[in-house]
Parts: sequence; C-alpha cells; structure tokens
Amino acid sequence: MNHDETKTILLLYRHGPADAEDPQIAGALALAKHDPELAGWLAAHCARQFVIGEKFRQITAPAGLKEQIISEQAASEIMIFWRPKFALAAAVAVILLFGTLAVFWFPHRAQDDTLAIYQNQMAGVALRGYAMDLMTNDPATIRAYLAQNHAPADFVLSAKLKQAALTGCAVESWQGVKVSMICFHTGQTSAANEASDLWLFVVDRAAMKDAPAGASPQLSKVNRLITATWTQGDKLYLLGTAGDEQTIRQYL
Amino acid sequence: MAESVDFENLVAGYYAPLYQFAFSLTRDEADSCDLVQQTFSIWARKGHQLRDATKVKTWLFTTLHREFLSARRKQTRWPHVELEHAAAELPVVAPATVNRLDAAQVLTALAQLDEVFQAPVALFYLQDYSYNEIADILEVPLGTVKSRLARGLGRLHEMLTGEKIETSKPTNL
Repeated sequence: MNHDETKTILLLYRHGPADAEDPQIAGALALAKHDPELAGWLAAHCARQFVIGEKFRQITAPAGLKEQIISEQAASEIMIFWRPKFALAAAVAVILLFGTLAVFWFPHRAQDDTLAIYQNQMAGVALRGYAMDLMTNDPATIRAYLAQNHAPADFVLSAKLKQAALTGCAVESWQGVKVSMICFHTGQTSAANEASDLWLFVVDRAAMKDAPAGASPQLSKVNRLITATWTQGDKLYLLGTAGDEQTIRQYL
Repeated sequence: MAESVDFENLVAGYYAPLYQFAFSLTRDEADSCDLVQQTFSIWARKGHQLRDATKVKTWLFTTLHREFLSARRKQTRWPHVELEHAAAELPVVAPATVNRLDAAQVLTALAQLDEVFQAPVALFYLQDYSYNEIADILEVPLGTVKSRLARGLGRLHEMLTGEKIETSKPTNL
C-alpha cells in the first residue's frame, strides 16, 4: 500500500475506537504508526477533522423552531392516539363520549376544516416547495387551465394584484375540494431565481365552516408568511407572501 | 414499538441535529426549518409504521434526506456550483490555520462537492455516525457510502489544504 492509498483510507478515520475497528483503517493506522511522514500527516488530519466537525456542530437551530413544530402539529390535529395500537381504545372512547356528551360535544368539537388549518396548510405549500402545474404570465391561460381541472377559475383579482407579474398556477386540494393556487413574482421578498414570492389561494367559501364573513381582508402571520384572508362572493381568498403587513397591503 | 415515542420529546431530542443536517445540505435557514418541520409532520402521520424504536433517529434523518432530494427535484432553489468554477474562490488552509475557518466557510467548501458526496460527508462530521448508520440513512450499500466518503473527503481535503491525494487506484473503500 503506497502513501496515497493509505491516506485515502485514513481520510475516513475519525479519532476514536469505532472507526479504528474497521479492518482497512486498522491496517492503515498500523502503517502510519511506523512511518513518520504518515504519522505526521495523520496527526494533522485528525486535528483538522476535529475542527471541521466542530464547525458543523456549531450550526444552531433558530429560536422557536421546536415550539413551532409542536404547535403546528397540534394545529393539524394529527394525534398520537390514532396510531393502530390505540385505534380500538380510541374508537370505544369516542363512541362513549359521542353517546353521552353529544349535545355538548358537537358545538365545541375540534374541526379539521377550519380556516386556521387551511391557512397553515396553504402556507406550507408555498413555503415547502411546490411544482407549478402551469408556468405562464397569461391570465386567460391560467383561468382556462384551472377551469379545465375543476378548480375555482372565476376569481376576482384586485386592481393591484392584476398589476403583479403572474408566473403560473397549480391546483391544490383541501378536504377533497380543489384549491386554485395563483403564483406571482414581485421580486420584493425573493431571489431572482425563485419562481414566485406571492401566492393567491382561492377555494369555495362553503369548504370552510368558519370563513370570515366580510370582504375586508384580515391580516395574520402564518408560519413565515404574512397573509390576508377575505371572502368575496362564494369564494374564500388567501393571499400570502414573506414580509410584513406593509408588503402585503400593496396588493390588496 | 415506535408508537411509544412521545412527539414532543421526539422533537426536543432531534430537532437540533436534524436542523444541522438540513442546513449542511441547503445552507438556508428557512429551507432548513421547512425540512425539519416536514420531517416531523411525516413522522406524525407515518411514524407508527416503524417497528423498531431504536431506528427512530435513522428514520428521521432518512426522511429528511428524502424530502431534501424531493424538494430539490421539484425546484432548483439551492444552486449547485461546479468545483472547477469555484475552486479559485476557496481558501487553501494549512492544518495549523484550519481553526480560522468559520462554519460558513466549511459549509461553502461542502457545497462545492458533487451532490452525492454532500450528505455522507455532512453526516460523517455532524453526528459521528458509523459507516453502517450512514448507509442506512442514505439507503445505499455500505461500500457505496465508503466510496463516496473517500472521494468526498478527498475533495474536501484537497480544497482546504491544497494537497491532492490520488484516489483513482481501485480500493475496497
């Protein structure tokens, strides 16, 4: 084994007993022990490995991430009790509760078709990577595509939104109901290579039991987006973008 | 078996190392947060399918890596720079001065590696995983992991020190 071959093997060596148990590494370590040049190289390499590892471990998660994960999970109501082991017990418990407390339970039950969860999921679609079904800046083509796919196509755009650069659309799903996702690029909150940074979601108002009554947009922070939600006609509109209230008001 | 794992404890135990792994891959805080959140969201839906509770950590890292690859396929949000184009920008660091590198520089160097080398190298440094565990997480054979590590670490070594180790000769690694 020449020096380069030995070094290639030793590149994989991290100081400690675990890696040294690997037969090839053990062999290379034995060679290094009796070769001053290799031994010097190995010492420098181990020191460098340690420092580089430390740099990786210095990466710290942003404050609040843990809490955000837990709270989002609670909001989506995917509960641990639905796992198979607990399914039977949960079903029995629900039946009992349903029978005895139905009158009280119904008005207060947790629903999964609420505006808050809808907002959260749509924000997730925008933030976690999506594929546009259609990339175009032509509004007529977008409406035709959405109509063809049975998603809301007769939506109304504000005068300011009409001036924003369209980039395309996608059809999403919410509780079995089609949601139109119309994408814009403003360049305000995104890098130039990002396809879009402003998203309008349109769904039938009837799909949301607690849809806001008025046409006046309600602003709220959802995940890392600032969102505006309003109803107009039989549609519920959700507009989202990164940034602050001032950013989103430009498009209302 | 894995259903006994409490969700909040699971998040508390693993969100930080998962974030480190995600950030090593994306080098973007927002994208890393999304990947970690998505990983736990998938756990909430599918974690009960895991029979062996000792595999929870591997399952989480594997899922995050899958989500990263999936998102990467959908859109090119994390630009990849070819080594040849970027090599001139990288500092050559003598062993004695490697301490002066900051985490960003190390991650920049990692980013210059070919995509298939980035995840194994990050796991190699981040978690002190065994080669078998890295193979499990990345869902590739052990020999492939060792080969990718040898080549990836060799490139990284070359970028940071300027020393090229000839790895072209066939090896069992």
